[in-house]
Amino acid sequence: MRSRVRELRESQGWSQGELAERLAVSRQTVNAIETGKYDPSLPLAFRLARLFGEPIEAIFQPAD
Amino acid sequence: MSRSARLYAMSGALLLAAAIACQQLLPGLPDFLYGLLYGLAIGLLLVGVVRAFQPDGCDDVTPAVRRRYVREILPAMIGYVAALFLSIWLLKRVDAPALRALIALLPVPAIALAMRAIMRRIRDADELQRRIELEAVSIAAAFISLGYLAAGFLQRAKVIDVPSSAAMIWVFPLVCFTFGLAKSVLSRRYR
Repeated sequence: MRSRVRELRESQGWSQGELAERLAVSRQTVNAIETGKYDPSLPLAFRLARLFGEPIEAIFQPAD
Repeated sequence: MSRSARLYAMSGALLLAAAIACQQLLPGLPDFLYGLLYGLAIGLLLVGVVRAFQPDGCDDVTPAVRRRYVREILPAMIGYVAALFLSIWLLKRVDAPALRALIALLPVPAIALAMRAIMRRIRDADELQRRIELEAVSIAAAFISLGYLAAGFLQRAKVIDVPSSAAMIWVFPLVCFTFGLAKSVLSRRYR
């Protein structure tokens, strides 16, 4: 899955650690989502969408 | 290699050298002291190995979970060491079988508390970390079970002769070490 999490996080001026704290996950998990190595669960994807004020499909797109 | 891995490995190596030096230069000391030094040295070296494989050891749970884990595991491990020393000391002085059983089991509650701390850490980790921990626990359980099964067959065939008490006591430390190593390697997949 491709994601815009890094782009959206940087536009907010947050570090990975700050985003991790807002989502109540580890920094390693934020990094894995940003690099596309881990696809978050639906509840976590919704939390991300709510935090950035964007619909899920605007943040995550299928890789192909 | 991270700074903490180097620190653990160097402390372990120094302690190992101290243990060997003590055994060579001060042969009159009780075996118990040599055992303690060797045990600590090997423990530190193993932690160093696990840390060396771990990409970002301190980032795998949220700071709040990490703080609670340290708050719970440290007293448990200190209690374990104290209970172990007390148990060894008392076992040399008590003969009644029922009392000996109670004394021998003194270190168990502290280890149960340490296990509880580990389980609470896994339960409160986030979804990716739980996935990594689950896979690491599965690998550790499979690996150690297989090793013990193989050793059991070798022992039955009288190829090896491992004292049963040592074999039983080493199950938990071996599971912990294999779990740590597996977790470190698996974490790299998500970097």
